Amino acid sequence: MTTSKETSQPPAELPKPAANWVREALEPDQFSAAKQPFGRQTLSRRTIILLWGLRVYVVLMGLLVALQTWNAFHVVR
Amino acid sequence: MPGEVTAEDIKRAGDRRRIRVLRAGNGRGRSLKLLWLLIGPGILVMLGENDGPSMISYAQTGASYGVGFFLPFIVLTFAMAFVVQEMTVRLGAATKRGHAELIYARFGRFWGFFAMADLIFGNLLTLVTEFIAVRAGLGFFGVPPGIAVLGALLVVVGVVLTRRYWTWERITLGFAIFNLIFVPVAVLAHPVSSQVVRSFFTWGPLPGGVTAGFILLVMSNIGATVTPWMLFFQQSAVVDKGLTTADIRHGRIDTALGAVLAATAAIATVLATAPLFAHHVDASNFEGAGFAQALAPYVGKVGATLFAIGIFEAGLVAAITISASSAYAFGEVAGGARSLNSPLREGRLFYAVLIAAAAIAAALVLIPHAPLVFIVLIVNVIAVLAMPPAIVFLLLLVNDREIMGEHANGPMANFCGISVTILLVAAGLIYGITTIFPHLLPA
Repeated sequence: MTTSKETSQPPAELPKPAANWVREALEPDQFSAAKQPFGRQTLSRRTIILLWGLRVYVVLMGLLVALQTWNAFHVVR
Repeated sequence: MPGEVTAEDIKRAGDRRRIRVLRAGNGRGRSLKLLWLLIGPGILVMLGENDGPSMISYAQTGASYGVGFFLPFIVLTFAMAFVVQEMTVRLGAATKRGHAELIYARFGRFWGFFAMADLIFGNLLTLVTEFIAVRAGLGFFGVPPGIAVLGALLVVVGVVLTRRYWTWERITLGFAIFNLIFVPVAVLAHPVSSQVVRSFFTWGPLPGGVTAGFILLVMSNIGATVTPWMLFFQQSAVVDKGLTTADIRHGRIDTALGAVLAATAAIATVLATAPLFAHHVDASNFEGAGFAQALAPYVGKVGATLFAIGIFEAGLVAAITISASSAYAFGEVAGGARSLNSPLREGRLFYAVLIAAAAIAAALVLIPHAPLVFIVLIVNVIAVLAMPPAIVFLLLLVNDREIMGEHANGPMANFCGISVTILLVAAGLIYGITTIFPHLLPA
């Protein structure tokens, strides 16, 4: 796991009275303004093919739903 | 800016402090109190998914097939939902990031765009059906559609404007528990207990066998339990609630509890409408109110009234949770506020998206002469078709040891997750084949 120490800066500039109890209660990367962005994951060729395959699947199935909806509207009319 | 404490942080820290104090102590009922503080996202996502179209699908199922195959099938679909949703708990607790944010961060804008497009399209359609349910449920009491829809919209807005995740969660949980109102209706329908028990062991009977209508209801029942918005919502809610890796066990209990409650309500709905099947009542074009009216001779006026309230509640709770899921995803992708703890000034775009999503859907419901029952059933089908890519993104993320560490999926979780994906793709392909070749199966 990318621990909070690795990903987030602890909120060092907190006003003291608020800082203590808030810092105790929250983990460092739970602070809304202190999150470090995660880097990109390198997708393997197989994963990219799988994602494209599923995208084609969604489009084709979407067309079928559109066809069925068209038919249903015609039955209603 | 790093280091700054926001109002959102202070509210979340307040919630976390209560949990920390409770964990440190050893008073009576500590476990139950801890459970009370930590439950929420899991129950909300499961009861939220027992939404308008889902309850109408279950009602159609009971009216078309009675007590039989679909009772154990519903249990199977909720087991699938648990497998998938449990992963979002770990993802949220381990990374402290919402689902949309993680997809964009780890896979880039290109794939993130597709995931968001599926979510936004699905959420808009589903939200429309929630207001259809609200309209149908309140229609039973003679409330005009415009007033019913506007009233529900005001509730959605009112709950959000508490600007406090905890308050929002508790109010929505209070509404959601009314999903169990279908249980007394089922009791009033006097199901034969031996028949109910037998159906769980035999997966039958299945009157009429496998037909095109059966396939549509199978798809509808799957879509009633596993949908993309659930992934986005629960992970974002886990982050917004402030759950950490120490809370994963309670997150699992929360999700399991939600699945059990939702499955109970779903099965109760099938049992409640089974008398329509027994008395050969054609329910193919009923909305929620139609079911309530048709059931009156079998479950009495009280039962019919409870059924109508249940349909209204299902639509209302889902309108609250689904509009929240849209706003969470928008905030995460846009890099702005993404919390129900955000003050109005900082989170105005977040709240605007949430309210706009609900308002657009509410307006669409009032279009006259739309085939509402068909829309309700087809929305669940669309959810099933959009689910495989969403689960693959989920599996990629939850196996990503760089962000998940020791909380990444084990072999068993992967086996279950991949099995669910294969089942969903297979269901989609069967639906596709029977749509292209309708004469393969009896009508």
